[in-house]
Amino acid sequence: MNSKFSGYANPDVLVDGAWLQAHIDDPSLRIVESNEDVLLYDTGHIPGAVHIDWRGDLQDNTERDYISPERFAEVCARNGISPETTVVFYGDKSNWWAAYALWAFRLYGHEKVKLLDGGSAKWKAEGRPITREKPVVKRAVYPVPARRHDDEIRAFFEDTLAQAKARRPLIDVRSPGEYRGEITHMPEYPQEGVLRGGHIPGARSVPWKIAANDDGTFKTFDELKTIYTENLGLKPDDDIVAYCRIGERSSHTWFVLTYLLGYKKVRNYDGSWTEWGNRVRAPIAKGDQPG
Amino acid sequence: MADYPPALGEIVDLFEHLPDDEKRENLIAYADQAPACAPKSGDVFDLEDVRKDEECTDTVGVFLKVDRTNRAAHFRISLGPHVQTLTKAMTAILCKGLEGATPEAILEVPQDFVPKIVGGQLVRLRSQTVYYILTRIKSAAKVWLNRERTASAV
Repeated sequence: MNSKFSGYANPDVLVDGAWLQAHIDDPSLRIVESNEDVLLYDTGHIPGAVHIDWRGDLQDNTERDYISPERFAEVCARNGISPETTVVFYGDKSNWWAAYALWAFRLYGHEKVKLLDGGSAKWKAEGRPITREKPVVKRAVYPVPARRHDDEIRAFFEDTLAQAKARRPLIDVRSPGEYRGEITHMPEYPQEGVLRGGHIPGARSVPWKIAANDDGTFKTFDELKTIYTENLGLKPDDDIVAYCRIGERSSHTWFVLTYLLGYKKVRNYDGSWTEWGNRVRAPIAKGDQPG
Repeated sequence: MADYPPALGEIVDLFEHLPDDEKRENLIAYADQAPACAPKSGDVFDLEDVRKDEECTDTVGVFLKVDRTNRAAHFRISLGPHVQTLTKAMTAILCKGLEGATPEAILEVPQDFVPKIVGGQLVRLRSQTVYYILTRIKSAAKVWLNRERTASAV
């Protein structure tokens, strides 16, 4: 095992390129690419990897919610994923969308999940194999999950409002400018339609990027512990909510807190700022301080 | 198509009638051509605008030279390795489609051609960075025109 991984609370949840390349033909694995870049998979992916799109495959495109358990079972079945399959996620943008897809899989109770440390950029930088050939996948059997586990790892508006009022840990993982309310989206990113800038009162600013190295890999356990446990003051039994703008960057932080540091109660507020900043009478704080 | 420079109009016309899966294939083919849009060694330009945008797109350089005799604009565009595939595709499309158009005509190009090229399936909330290259090209054309006006006023 990669020596860095052994320090994490859940060492098996991360794999590196060498491990994945050695297990590329393992029938108990399914490699899944999830990206910000909608065409990236088509330009070259890890041999055998399938593409699961965060919006087209995992989100309900009518209602702002995730797909039904029935549709999730179908997504898995057609991608050769059964409940026993270990799904290894990877993608662009330091694994934002891979972490988001992993989180979404956990919503349906799929427990066997891993993330490729460093995502697609590191895989390519290491000169590992890439193909444009789409794999021929044998359909699997995936029983419809009995329920979605929203209550365990997902926070809604009311949950987050209660979190703010109770002054429980609330982490804003957006860029500092977004937190302060100077901008409502990342520089040069499309505006996704939010009317007010700022942050949720009481939220502490810890941009997702602090948890990642320049090559997109995660920082070590000790480095992460310094950021979240020592500097932010999170305690082992804390009830924690993370948010960003639409829930993908906060999935990255959710993954760090849940899997790498081992916090037991972490929820991702996927409605995030595009819901909060539009909500009539939702309280907003501006500036550097939590408020 | 009257609003588009002729070369861009031809590309729009081609894409507009393709089904979404063929649009994707053609976009990837254009994206593959993007490296050829970068400036060549020895090229001289009137204007160079190289910027690295925080956290999202990689470095994008826009290089413009305008032929003084016929006011034909020639763009070259350099892209960092992490820009999105759609941005690469739009780079190749716009370098080809706007080649030889005047700066004034470039400023007038309506952006409604983008969904016609990209298609409904790919025009999504977070993939609208396809407008970015057009915005940068127009910005360069505007700066060039402002400089020309300033120079002629002196």
